[in-house]
Amino acid sequence: MVRFPEASPAGGAVALAVSDLSVTYGDFVAVERASFQVAEGECVAIVGPNGNGKSSIAMAVAGLADRRGVVRLFGQVAPARDPMWMVSRGLALVPERRQLFPNLSVLDNIALGCYAWTRSLRTALRSEALSEALEFFPQLRPRLRQKAGTLSGGEQQMVALARGMASRPRVLVIDEPCLGLAEAVARRLYGVLAAMNRQGRTIVLVEENPVRALELSHQVVRVQNGVTVGVEAPPRRDRDPGA
Amino acid sequence: MTEFGNLVLSGLTSGAIYAVLAVCLALWFRVANMLNLAAGDFAMIGALGVDLLARVHGWNLALAILAVLVVIALVGFAYDFVVLRIAVDWGRAQEGIVAIFFFTFALSFVLEGIAQQVFGTVVHAAPALWPGNALDLHGLHVQRAGVLVIGFAVVVGIGLALCLRFTLVGKAMAACGENPIGARIVGIDNRRFRRAIFVLTAVLAGVFGILGSPITGFVYNSGAGLGLSGVVAAAFAGFTRPGRAVVAGLSIGLLESFLSGYVNTAYGETLLYGVLAAVMLFRPQLMGLPEVAQ
Repeated sequence: MVRFPEASPAGGAVALAVSDLSVTYGDFVAVERASFQVAEGECVAIVGPNGNGKSSIAMAVAGLADRRGVVRLFGQVAPARDPMWMVSRGLALVPERRQLFPNLSVLDNIALGCYAWTRSLRTALRSEALSEALEFFPQLRPRLRQKAGTLSGGEQQMVALARGMASRPRVLVIDEPCLGLAEAVARRLYGVLAAMNRQGRTIVLVEENPVRALELSHQVVRVQNGVTVGVEAPPRRDRDPGA
Repeated sequence: MTEFGNLVLSGLTSGAIYAVLAVCLALWFRVANMLNLAAGDFAMIGALGVDLLARVHGWNLALAILAVLVVIALVGFAYDFVVLRIAVDWGRAQEGIVAIFFFTFALSFVLEGIAQQVFGTVVHAAPALWPGNALDLHGLHVQRAGVLVIGFAVVVGIGLALCLRFTLVGKAMAACGENPIGARIVGIDNRRFRRAIFVLTAVLAGVFGILGSPITGFVYNSGAGLGLSGVVAAAFAGFTRPGRAVVAGLSIGLLESFLSGYVNTAYGETLLYGVLAAVMLFRPQLMGLPEVAQ
C-alpha cells in the first residue's frame, strides 16, 4: 500500500486526495485501500490490467459506487454515494460506457452537462462552457440535432467528453477514453485531452493500455488486484500524444 | 350533421379522460421507467374525497378540494418514500420491471380497500365546478364537466410537452428515464425527480377526478378501469410523451364514439380494442416508441 504526505507530488494544491479507498461488490473485493493524490493542473493516469479495479476507483471517487475510505475534493471530504455533491463541486466523470442519453439529441446531451451549475436551458446554450466544449469537437456541430444513440462510437465518446466539459469541471475523470475507438480517432481524442490539460484542467485518466496515457500524464498510479502498487512519474513526457 | 357533432363531443369527452390518465402515466414512465397503475385510484380519491367533505360534511368546496389534493400529495410522497425507496433505491429494481410493476398494482389495491371503507360502495361524484344543465350549441349537447376535462387535458398535455422540450429541467426529467446512471453522472438527482413527478401526477389525476366525476360518477373501484384506459392511450405515445398522449387519448375517444355511433352501439368498445390491437400489431411505429440505443 502506498501512503502520501499532505502536499501533492507536484507541489501544487491538492485537487483530489484518495486514501484507503475500498470498493466491494457483495463478497468480491474490487478495490482495497487504494490511495493517491492529484494536484491541480496535473494529469494523472491510473493504469493496470483489465479487471483490476481501475473503473471501480473512478466510479467510487465520482460517488457512483459504495466505498469505504476517504475522498477529498479540494480539501473537502466527499460523502460516499453522492455524485451530485461531486459534480456540483467540480468533479466530472466521463465513464467507460459513456452513459449518454441515446434518444436525446447531441445538443441536449451536452447541455445536460450544464445541469451541474444552471437550471436554465437558455443560460446553458449560451454558456462559454458549452461553446468551449463544441470548439474542442467541431465534428459534432453538424450533428447537434441528431439523436446521440445514432452516432458512431468515436462521436459518442466526443459527446461524453463534451458533456463532461460543459459541467465546468475542475477535475475531469475519464475512464478508458479510447475503448473501442479507431486509432486515428483515439489519437485525435488524446490531442484534445492534451489541450485541455494545457489549459490548466486537472485530468485523471483511467487506462488499460497505458502507452498514450503515460505520454500525457505527470504521474502514474499503478493498480493491481485492486491495490495501488506504485505511484511514479512517467518515463518521459516529451511529446503531445495527439500530435 | 348534428349527430356527427354530438359524436365528436362525446368522443372528445371520453378521449379527454383517457388523455389525462395517459399524461400521468407517460410523464412518470418518462422519469422512472415504471407504469403507475394506481393513477386512476388517485382520480377516484379526488372525486369521492371532495364529495365526502363537501357534500356529506358540508365543507366549503374550495377548502375540500385543497384538503383532498394535499392528502393525495402526501399519500404519493409517502408511497415513494417508503415503498419505492425500498423497492427501487435499495436494489430491488435489478429484479426487473415486473417486480416494480406489482408494487404500483399493490398500491392500487390498497387504495381501493381503504376507499371502500371510507367512501362506501355507492356511486358518487364531486360537486360540479361548473354547475348547470348541458350547454346547447345549435343542437349540440355539451357537458360542462366535459369542457373542463377536455380543457384540463389539453392544457396539461401542452404544458408538459413544452416543459420537456424547452426547459433544462424537462430534459433532465427525460434523462432520468433514458439513463438513470447517466443522469446521476451529470448531477441530476433522479430519485428526487421520481418522487416529485409521482406526487405531481397523483395530484393531476386527483384534479381530473374532481373535474370529471360529474360525467360518469365514481365508486371505490373505478380507478383500475380508468388506469387501464390510460395505459392504452399512453402506449400510443410510446409511454413517454405527454403531449402525444393527449392526442392519442382524444383520438381513441373519437374512434370509440364513431364506432359506437356508426357501426354498432353494443360492440363499440369491443371494436375499438380490436382496431387498436390491429394497429399495434401492424403499425407499431404509430406508438412512437423510442428507438433502441445502439
